[in-house]
Amino acid sequence: MLIEPVSIHAQKIREGKIELGNFFSKILREIKRIQEEYNPFITIVEKSRIENEKGKLAGIIVSVKDNICTEGIRTTAGSLILQNYIPPFDATVVERVKKEGGVIIGKTCMDEFGFGTFSVNCAYGIPKNPYDKERSCGGSSGGAACIAALADFPHIAIAESTGGSISCPAAFCGVVGITPTYGRVSRWGLIDYANSLDKIGVIGKCVEDVALGLSIIGGYDEKDSTSLNIPEEDFMRYLNENIEKVKIAIPKEYFENVDDEIKERVWDGIKKLEGEGAVYEEVSLPTTKYVIPTYYIIAVSEASTNLAKFCGIRYGLHLPLEGNFNEYFSKVRSEGFGKEAKRRIILGTYARMAGFRDAYYLRAMKVRTKIISDFKKVFKKFDVIISPTMPVLPPKFDEIEKLKPIEVYMMDILTVGPNLAGIPMISVPCGFVKGLPVGMHIMADHLEEKKCLKVAYAFEKVKK
Amino acid sequence: MKVKIGLEIHVQLLTKSKLFCSCSTNYENKEPNENTCPICLGFPGSKPKVNKKALDFGIMVALALNCKIAEKTFFSRKSYFYPDMSKNYQITQYEIPLAKNGFLEIGKKKIRIRRVHLEEDPAKLIHVGKDITSAQHVLIDYNRSGIPLVEIVTEPDFENPREVREFLEKLSSILEHLEVYDSSKEGSMRIDVNISLEGGERVEIKNISGFKRIEKALMYEIVRQENLRRLGLKVKRETRHFDERSGLTFSLRKKEVEEDYGYIFDTDLPVVEISKGWVNSLAKSMPELPHKRVERFVEEFNLPKERAKVLVYTDKQLADFFEKCAEVYKNYERLSKWIVTDLLKCLNWHGIRINQSKVKVESFAELLKLIDEGEITERLAKEIIKEYVNTGKSPSKIIEEKGLRLIRDEKEIEKVIKIVLAENRKAVKDYRKGERKALNFLIGKVLQKTNKRIDPKVIRKIIKKALNEDCTKKPR
Repeated sequence: MLIEPVSIHAQKIREGKIELGNFFSKILREIKRIQEEYNPFITIVEKSRIENEKGKLAGIIVSVKDNICTEGIRTTAGSLILQNYIPPFDATVVERVKKEGGVIIGKTCMDEFGFGTFSVNCAYGIPKNPYDKERSCGGSSGGAACIAALADFPHIAIAESTGGSISCPAAFCGVVGITPTYGRVSRWGLIDYANSLDKIGVIGKCVEDVALGLSIIGGYDEKDSTSLNIPEEDFMRYLNENIEKVKIAIPKEYFENVDDEIKERVWDGIKKLEGEGAVYEEVSLPTTKYVIPTYYIIAVSEASTNLAKFCGIRYGLHLPLEGNFNEYFSKVRSEGFGKEAKRRIILGTYARMAGFRDAYYLRAMKVRTKIISDFKKVFKKFDVIISPTMPVLPPKFDEIEKLKPIEVYMMDILTVGPNLAGIPMISVPCGFVKGLPVGMHIMADHLEEKKCLKVAYAFEKVKK
Repeated sequence: MKVKIGLEIHVQLLTKSKLFCSCSTNYENKEPNENTCPICLGFPGSKPKVNKKALDFGIMVALALNCKIAEKTFFSRKSYFYPDMSKNYQITQYEIPLAKNGFLEIGKKKIRIRRVHLEEDPAKLIHVGKDITSAQHVLIDYNRSGIPLVEIVTEPDFENPREVREFLEKLSSILEHLEVYDSSKEGSMRIDVNISLEGGERVEIKNISGFKRIEKALMYEIVRQENLRRLGLKVKRETRHFDERSGLTFSLRKKEVEEDYGYIFDTDLPVVEISKGWVNSLAKSMPELPHKRVERFVEEFNLPKERAKVLVYTDKQLADFFEKCAEVYKNYERLSKWIVTDLLKCLNWHGIRINQSKVKVESFAELLKLIDEGEITERLAKEIIKEYVNTGKSPSKIIEEKGLRLIRDEKEIEKVIKIVLAENRKAVKDYRKGERKALNFLIGKVLQKTNKRIDPKVIRKIIKKALNEDCTKKPR
């Protein structure tokens, strides 16, 4: 399938070459058809509007992961506890998209609050893999990757990653997903999973699309105190840069316990890059064995405080006011939260309790700094790190049901490291195994999205 | 029995906006929940943003309390479920507070300050019904949610309730002089007290507003604990509530273990670096602290130290009023005396502070000038002040309306005295017999008759003369 970058479509809209009314109604029909078959959406916006016909995203269809607030449009974060929640404000990224003429078409399925790797923890239906309906799209931005893969209209998906929730579904659905440096994109309006780990990013059909999307949504926002006050970047200008002499690090730990055929595809990809002039060398990231417990302890600790606000008082699910406060909110939370949410709240609360705090939460914070310094050491000598995105092929739903929670958590082994470090990363499709997509993960140092993008773009070109 | 008392004081800071959002801190005339936004309501997706002015104020308070300021500080989440918490966690400071290890002296005693930090105020709970124990339901008003608080924690260095009150009065004066706090705002200072008898368990009394209540609450609690001891019973470690009407403390909940707040860093907020430059510039521009002001009053206005202390520490507004009057009226001794005695008495009687009254600099100075010029007596002035504070009418207007000007014409005075002597023959006879008291009686009668419009000293002079003259006129 020939992929046309969405920017071409935007240009046509700016030049007035497309009849908008017809265009939107056609797309809505198409979306509803996809929704019937694959269920990528939680909410579809019937009356879409284009606010700027001259913008950089003019007329481009944009789906938004349902943990990102959209004013006037139901936002659930995939959970029953927000089943009728309509935010009174737009997230900054949504404002930016609208300002540039992007058309918000719907909110995509996700694991509740981001808790999951397969989007099976979504209270509004599970999105199905475009390549095999019995398999998972990945998670937690499963719906976003699903629609990105299936849309045959110009579309990008705004998604979010805490431990790999952009890279994983991008890999499983055979599309491109970029997770920027932590702080590059404002989190104002993002329903928090873990504040020190959440990043909003873009999923699309090709590298140029995600570069365009990221250029629009990125930038300093004074409403978010963790937003980096750095000049905005137009990431499109780095795409065509030469990758000769680009130094690629191959971390040996990231090739252990990975399906052989997946490794083969990724190595094919690395060799192709070598053919374009890049050089590679094996390195070691010795703290890799600690990334899963470090990630999960920090993430669930923060999450357990972030989810405390859902108690049926000011918004979201509420029940008849009976009993005292404790009885009331316990009932609301028991009914509103899914199993995985409850599991993580309990784990997170435990890890923060006096007596355990030192051993778990504070310890994990210390180990995190060591993990980050491992990456920094590598980036002193290398431009990018490349590895497989996921250790397995998209699993079947019935296989997932048999997995123990800890086995599910281990699936994130290749993505939580860079997510903990807050470095930028991009997953690009690099082939198929048994008809299922495989993703190659390209990571770079903080604020070096341009390196990820130019390598990814070069790979995309040479792959053809 | 030896008593140990420690305080946790929460003070609302007078910044323009709340601690983490741009909502106003002035919500006096607003409907409930009108002064809110997604941040202080804890809406999903909202993020806090630190109000720098609050940090400035916090640092100033720490400096005034002789604390060591942290070089780096950050915020933590104190997690617990309660209806007044919009996020079910409070953003506060735990591991590294803004400042620590300070002190404040009361008399010769040093009270150690353990820590000073910033945190957000929760919402206000309104118990519908009588009070916290009998209310059928609770209403929540988030106007207050997110107001910046500075929390000051002392070591348990207090040994009696009087020391506590002295400390709080001094602290209140310092905070008002720093212009970070307004004591007339309801609920602007709330205090939790920890109190134990020697060797006994610690009892916490929560959320007391106001100094008078603190002394009362502590006195009751000490007696309660002493009684338990005498009966051979143990004092339970618990949290109690003070009921102002009954003057009793009663149990709220058992404090068996420290409540587990599961503190984590608030990773929505970056670490705050407090440079020496920042601290120094605040120190340089800090308003005059009360102890310095007292020194200056002694120097500049030649006031006795004790009076300067009363003027400064009783109420900053009073000291401000003094200084403003001092610009137009130069008899500082008389000015300060009148302010701390009669004026203050009137204000206290009405239960208001001077800025809430109708007293103005010009008219007050005018009143004192009238005394200087002999137009009215001091006694009369005392009466006039009462009406002045009551109605706000200028003293000269009151004097006009009530015809209170002193009678100074000697001839007129003689006339009145003659009438009084004629009406009070018995007293005259008594005076002649040698009873000194009779003289005072007669003077009193003259005052009565003239509505106190004659200077008693003048009466005494003239009436003596008249009595002597009268003496010489023997009845035929």
